[in-house]
Amino acid sequence: MLNSSIQHITLSIGEKCELVFLNESDMDWHIVQEADSFLRVHILFLSENDVTAQWQSKLFVEQNGANCRTEIYAMGLLHDTQQAHLLTRVYHNIGGGYSSQILKFVLNDQTKGSFRGELKILPNAQQTEAHQTNRNILLSRQADMLTEPQLEIYADDVKASHGATTGQLDESALFYMQQRCISHDTAAKLLLEAFFNEVISTLSDEQQEQIRETIHRIL
Amino acid sequence: MLEIKNLHASIAGKEILKGLNLTINEGEVHAIMGPNGAGKSTLSNVLTGHPAYTVTEGEIIFRGKNLLEMTPEVRAREGIFLSFQYPVEIPGVSIVNFMRTAVNEKRQHEGKEPLKATDFLKLMREKKALVGMDNKLTNRSVNEGFSGGEKKRNEIFQMAMLEPCLSILDETDSGLDIDALRIVAEGVNALKTPKTASIVITHYQRLLDYIVPDFVHVLANGKIVRTGGKELALELEANGYAFLNN
Repeated sequence: MLNSSIQHITLSIGEKCELVFLNESDMDWHIVQEADSFLRVHILFLSENDVTAQWQSKLFVEQNGANCRTEIYAMGLLHDTQQAHLLTRVYHNIGGGYSSQILKFVLNDQTKGSFRGELKILPNAQQTEAHQTNRNILLSRQADMLTEPQLEIYADDVKASHGATTGQLDESALFYMQQRCISHDTAAKLLLEAFFNEVISTLSDEQQEQIRETIHRIL
Repeated sequence: MLEIKNLHASIAGKEILKGLNLTINEGEVHAIMGPNGAGKSTLSNVLTGHPAYTVTEGEIIFRGKNLLEMTPEVRAREGIFLSFQYPVEIPGVSIVNFMRTAVNEKRQHEGKEPLKATDFLKLMREKKALVGMDNKLTNRSVNEGFSGGEKKRNEIFQMAMLEPCLSILDETDSGLDIDALRIVAEGVNALKTPKTASIVITHYQRLLDYIVPDFVHVLANGKIVRTGGKELALELEANGYAFLNN
């Protein structure tokens, strides 16, 4: 779909909202949070059969009232020639808010991924707490991940952290598991499932089961 | 059970083992001592098939089979167990899931059916009791946030679960206080049978007060340079390795 239009929603005071986007190819959402609202978003890229999928996702969240909470979880398990490109933009316009972002990608074969995370804490947003973690595992030399965390902090009384790493599966853990009779492939699967657990465990039980089954089929 | 002949092994092009010979029979406990850098940990890594090490010469026969042709997991399933000097933390993988996978992969290798969930849990309970492993630990991720002593006890627990023929204890005493050392040693002794054998790699004599060896070998410069009975460990404790320089 070309020229997809932006979806706008506003969470009113104290409203709670949970959204799950599974394999949305052209999502572009702008969500405004008023005071005391709670937003949890899951963005998931994992398709067993659509081996040439190209996903583009944009999520823009603005905290416009005090004491908002925003949680963003994203994961991608890419294979063949799939591509996933994710942009998150979280603006703390008013203080006392909390946001956390956990974004995890595993890239195999000739896949490409990118994550750009714009986190802004504006001058009026004192006593904000904001965290962003992006972890990526490359399973193939031909896979490529670009990660660009961008923090802009204009208030002085805030707690903020970000971290981005891209690496391979932990060789020492793989060998340890092999020494315990577990084949290299099974060991890798256990490690990858564990890697995604932080994202998956925040879904409903039913969704967790569905996602875990899909992961199993892909691995 | 194990026969190592003229073993040469290197890591990153540097030769560490330079013609090591060692024969181990069922029921025996062999201690391997020696100065830092002698090749003690290289020996355990080569026996278990660590990919960073290359065997350049010699052979290892384990229960009549060529060990060097086997992948690390096949060696483990054939009955070689290494209690790691530094057990690895695996966040997100529970001990229960880890052990169920390990036990069942070993059973499959032996042509046995996977254990039923109830039988597996019963086995866990039995082995936890044997090595004094706390329930609180087995509900956690593998080694994550464990103290040094808890990690070593978890190694012995896994050894009890997998019932190896040959267990290699690599510096199992490092980082343990005397009470933890005694408990770990008791676990090892409880698992000993006339059909099993152990290699105990250690810097210090004190572990050998609890796990009494039949043979003590001194490894230096990639070879075994001296072999004796348990009294050799006491002599080394008293006099050190100065004799190596003569």
